[in-house]
Amino acid sequence: MEMLLQAIINGILMGSVYGLTALGLTLIFGVMKVINFAHGSCLMVGMFASYWFVTLTGIDPYLALIVVVPFCFAFGYLIQDTLISPVFKREKGVREPFGVLLLTSGLWLVLDNLALLLFGANFRSIKTPYSSLSYQIGDIIINGPRLYAFIGTIAGAYLFHLFLKKTVMGQAIRATGQDRDVAGLMGVNVYRIYSVAFGIGIAITGFVGGLLTPFYYVHPTVGYVFDIKAFVIVVLGGLGSIPGALLGGIIIGLIESVVAQFLTATWTAAITYAIFLAVLFLKPEGILGLKGEW
Amino acid sequence: MNRFSLTSPRVYVPLGLVVILFVIPLVMRSPIFLHLMILIFFYAYLTLSWNIVGGFAGQVSLGHTAFTGIGAYTSTLLFIQLGLTPWIGMFAGAFLAALMAVIIGYPCFKLRGAYFALSTIGFLEAFRIVVENTNEVFGIPIKGAQGMEVPLRGDSLLYFQFLDKEPYYYIILIMMFIALYVTYRISKSKFGYYLLAIKNDLEAAESLGVNIAHSKLKAAAISGFLTGIGGTFYAQLILFIDPANIIGAYLAFEIVFIAVIGGRGTLLGPILGSFLLVPVSELTRVYLGGTYFGVHLIVFGAMLIVVMLFLPRGINDSVLKIYHWVIEKLERKGSHALEGVASR
Repeated sequence: MEMLLQAIINGILMGSVYGLTALGLTLIFGVMKVINFAHGSCLMVGMFASYWFVTLTGIDPYLALIVVVPFCFAFGYLIQDTLISPVFKREKGVREPFGVLLLTSGLWLVLDNLALLLFGANFRSIKTPYSSLSYQIGDIIINGPRLYAFIGTIAGAYLFHLFLKKTVMGQAIRATGQDRDVAGLMGVNVYRIYSVAFGIGIAITGFVGGLLTPFYYVHPTVGYVFDIKAFVIVVLGGLGSIPGALLGGIIIGLIESVVAQFLTATWTAAITYAIFLAVLFLKPEGILGLKGEW
Repeated sequence: MNRFSLTSPRVYVPLGLVVILFVIPLVMRSPIFLHLMILIFFYAYLTLSWNIVGGFAGQVSLGHTAFTGIGAYTSTLLFIQLGLTPWIGMFAGAFLAALMAVIIGYPCFKLRGAYFALSTIGFLEAFRIVVENTNEVFGIPIKGAQGMEVPLRGDSLLYFQFLDKEPYYYIILIMMFIALYVTYRISKSKFGYYLLAIKNDLEAAESLGVNIAHSKLKAAAISGFLTGIGGTFYAQLILFIDPANIIGAYLAFEIVFIAVIGGRGTLLGPILGSFLLVPVSELTRVYLGGTYFGVHLIVFGAMLIVVMLFLPRGINDSVLKIYHWVIEKLERKGSHALEGVASR
């Protein structure tokens, strides 16, 4: 029983991290109607940025977020501005912009293998004084950094929600997601909004990356795992839905850790796919039925 | 002037190119070079097969290596267990791949665009994970992630294995031309126009009476059948199969990238894309891959990005433009030689 409870808590903690990663993906989809295949790779970039910044300066990983998050925002903004925008403009009239999908999958290959070339295939991790810190409640043990990551994702998601609802830029982003033509007529510079939205989506992965490094190994293909999970989560929660992304993340985290009590990790992955396909075929708008609030 | 006269550049230029491809192994005997050519034809073959669904019908499948996997595993298992020659096992694998294409296609084709692409990845990954974690099926060992060796029979035409590269070269070259012929026939048929209509405007096609589901499934079955045969060829060429490679996501993406860079939905695009990409990626793999695994994928990705930015319809149109320019030059030369004879 304790085992199960432990698994449930671990699942929720890790699931919130998946959820926040998926939040970035769902933001980009909600605004641009584009699936960013390089999303996991951007997370990998964020993790390496955090890793190197912390290793080289010896700064606390959570303090490093102040640098890593803006760096990732700039990275995302530039990708959108220089690479995706031109293709996007050309495919304006197309209902399903496939060029962008292919472009981002090209980016995925380039980023992952560039990281492999530069940093090698080694698994790296940051040692911090609290890496092995844990809290004990009864028989349940909660790992410190995982708990901080959970608190961080909830705080991050709430801040993001406030940003969307309260600020002018947030309103402009939502307006563009609802109807880009009308938003354009109202004086919103749509392509700038796309760049900002993409930048924020990637900044979120940078934030997640920074929260992950104290307890998760950094390596060039780390993104792939998160990429596939983020796809599963956004489909589960409904593409474009913010609460859906978080809830979907926690559901996947729970499945992963609870099913792993009974089956091997690889079979757990197969079950995740089975759920993914079932949701796609039976209820493609997401099981939670949450509408994207754009 | 007779259209099929050998003196017309419209006939002798393409014919000459084909003849050159058949003569190459007689002149160039380097196994490394021949292996590179084999890979070019192999990728071109897979991409031509993919193009029926992904290009003509516009359904971008990112999971086509499920079919190479089925083909390779079926023919290899039949060979190991029953001693059946891969020449026959190949067709068994192809039929199973076609069947699988229909089974997967049935639910997937109901989805559109990005959802469709995601569902094909989902199927591929699930299939690969299952194969990787299955050591035996009904007592027949398939050895999971470890992979299987194709039993060696030496130089044997009967068992589809050769010590030299030349036989493989001719087999895959002919396979490529068959795939090209199949796609050519489809593109000129009513069925091909149905696919084109589905790609361009699904609703319009449906309202004009095109049976959408049937056409898509038929395209998937043909594509899966051909791709399955490709899987068997790969197994016989490498004589080893494992899920990571033959059912891998990377190979599936490579096929799509070649198609996009060559020209998605064009007849020759897959071959042109393969001739451009495979040598570049193989050379980087050979010269840098030892120390830097994955460098060729950077090249793939970078070329894809460049093509998406500057040549959204692939290199096919540009290459054809140059080709027609050359043909016209040659024709003009020819008509000067035939002074007084009305060329048209």
